Amino acid sequence: MTTILSSPPPLRTQSADRRVTVQRRKRKKALQHTVVIALLSTWTVFALAPIVWIVMMSLKVPEDIVTYPPKFLFTPTLANYADIFTGTQFLTPFINSIIVTLGALLLTLVVGLPTAYALARFNFKGRESIAFSILSLRFAPELLIILPLYLLFQKVGLYDNYLGLILAYQLVTLPMLVWMLRSFIEDLPVELEEAVSVDGGTRWTAFRHVIFRLIAPGLGASLMLSFIFAWNSYTLPLVLSGRKTQVITTGIQQYISFQSIEWGPMAAATVVSMVPGTLFAIFALRWIVGGLTAGTVKG
Amino acid sequence: MRHKPHLPYLLVLPALAFLAAILYPFLTGACWSFTSYRLSRGDPVFNWGENYVRLFTSGEGLHAVTITLTYAVTVVVIECVLGLGLAMLLNYGRYGNAFRLLNVLPLMLPPVVAAIMWKVMLTENWVVNWLIESTGNAKLAWLSGPDTALLSVMLIDVWIFTPFVVLLGQAGLRSVPQELREASSVDGAGPIRNFVSVTLPMLMPVLVVIIAFRGIDSLKMFDIIYTTTAGGPVDATTNLHVLAYLDGIRNLNFGMAMAALIVLWLLVYLMSHFLLKARRKDAVS
Repeated sequence: MTTILSSPPPLRTQSADRRVTVQRRKRKKALQHTVVIALLSTWTVFALAPIVWIVMMSLKVPEDIVTYPPKFLFTPTLANYADIFTGTQFLTPFINSIIVTLGALLLTLVVGLPTAYALARFNFKGRESIAFSILSLRFAPELLIILPLYLLFQKVGLYDNYLGLILAYQLVTLPMLVWMLRSFIEDLPVELEEAVSVDGGTRWTAFRHVIFRLIAPGLGASLMLSFIFAWNSYTLPLVLSGRKTQVITTGIQQYISFQSIEWGPMAAATVVSMVPGTLFAIFALRWIVGGLTAGTVKG
Repeated sequence: MRHKPHLPYLLVLPALAFLAAILYPFLTGACWSFTSYRLSRGDPVFNWGENYVRLFTSGEGLHAVTITLTYAVTVVVIECVLGLGLAMLLNYGRYGNAFRLLNVLPLMLPPVVAAIMWKVMLTENWVVNWLIESTGNAKLAWLSGPDTALLSVMLIDVWIFTPFVVLLGQAGLRSVPQELREASSVDGAGPIRNFVSVTLPMLMPVLVVIIAFRGIDSLKMFDIIYTTTAGGPVDATTNLHVLAYLDGIRNLNFGMAMAALIVLWLLVYLMSHFLLKARRKDAVS
C-alpha cells in the first residue's frame, strides 16, 4: 500500500508501471511468507524435539540409550513397552490414574453441572460470591489445602485411598468445569427455554431436550480438559497417595529417583502418559479456547 | 420463566457443601501457621506469629519470596512476548492450523513428565550438551549448577506454557477487526505503531486473562521445580511452594510450612485481585 502512495508517477505507460508494483508486492509477500514459515518451523522444532527424542528413546535397547554422542539411527524395539505393560511398576499407577481420574470427573459432573446451570441462568443473592469462591479454589496454592488434609485424611482413613484422592481432585477439576460450563450456558439465548415453557414444558424438560443437547460439545470438551488436569495433577497424589494408590505422574518419577535409572521403561511410560493429552489436542482443542476466554473475545 | 425461589440454592447446594468442607482444612492450616507444630513433638502450641517473623528474618523466607517473584515475572514476560509473537505469525497465513496442533503438544503433557523429560535431556553427558559441544562451546551444568538451575527451570516452564499464551492470543487477535488495522495503515501508521495503538489495546482483555492464569500458576509453581531440582542446588530454586513442602513433609514442621503457604496465598490473592479489577474496568469502558 505504501509503495503505491510513495512512488511518484513515472513517464512509462500506466500498465507497465502497474505490473512492476504488482510484481514487487508479490515478491515482498513471498519473502514475508518465507520468513514467517521459517520462524514457525524453528519454534516447532524447539517444541517437538524433546518429545521426538523421548519417543526415540522409548524405542531403543539399553545399549543404544546410554551412548555418547547420542545415536540417531538405531534398530527400533518395542521391548520397553512390553516391559512396562507386563510388570506392576507401571501398570498399577496407570490403572490407579484411570480410576481416580474417572471417579473425580463423575463427581465433578454431578456437582458441577447443576451449579454451572444455576450460576448461568438464575439471578440470586450471593451468586457472584459463590462463583468467585469456586474459581478461587484454583488460585489457592495446592499445599495450603493438602497439607492439613494429609493429617486429616490419616485420621479418618482416607489417606492412600481412592475416595480420598477423588475428593481432593475436585480442587482441580471442579473450578475448571463450572467456570467453562457456565460460559457455555450463558452463550445460549434464554428464549430457548421460554419457547419450551410456552409449549407447556417445564424447566427440566427444557434442560434435557434443548440446553443439554446444545452444550453437549462444550460439555464434552470441558470434561476432557478436566480429565487432562486431573491426569496431569502431581502435588495432590504426591502428598495424599501412598504405595497403594500411586498414580501415573508420581509413578513415572519412581523410575528416576532410584539409584539405577531404567531409561527405556521410563521413556515408554512417559510416552504412554502423553496419550490423553495428545488425543485431546487433536479432537477437542477448538472448543476450549472459547470457554477459557469467556466474555473477553467476540466471535 | 418463573421458578421457585429456592431452586437455584438447591442446585448449588452440593458445590456449597464442598466449599464448606474445604474451609475446614484451610482454617485449620491457617491456625497452624500461628503455632509451633512439629509432628514429632505433639500438639500445636500457639506462638504469636513467630513463624512469620522467623520466615522473614532468617533469610530463608525472603530468599524464597525473591525466587518466587523472579520466577513468576520472568516466565510470564517471556511467555507473553514469545506467545503473542507466535500467535501473530500463526494468524499471518493460512498454514497456521497445521503448526498450531504441533505447537500445542507441550501444553498437553503432564508438566511433571515434561520436566522429567527435560531433566534427562539436560543431564551433563547427554543430548543438549552434545549439541552445545558440537558447536564448539563448553558444556553447561544446567539444572545442577547453582547459577544455571533457576534459568533451566524457567526454560522448561517456557517450553511447556508458551503454547497456552499462543492459544488464547490467537483467539484474541482474531477478534481485532481487520478494518481497524487497515484504517490505521492508511493513516500512515507503520507495523509497530499499528501494533501498539490498535492491536494491543484491543488485545487487553485477553491479555489480562493470560497474565492471570500464567501469573497465578507460576507464582505457585511446584511440579517442575520439585521434580527437576527439588529446590536445589542448596536453595537456588526453592520458591515458597517448594519451601513449604520441604518444611512440611520432609521436616514435618507444619507451623513453618503453613506460614510460607499463607504468604504465598496472599501473593497470589493480591495479584488476582488487581487483575480482576483491571478486567472489570475493561468491561465497563
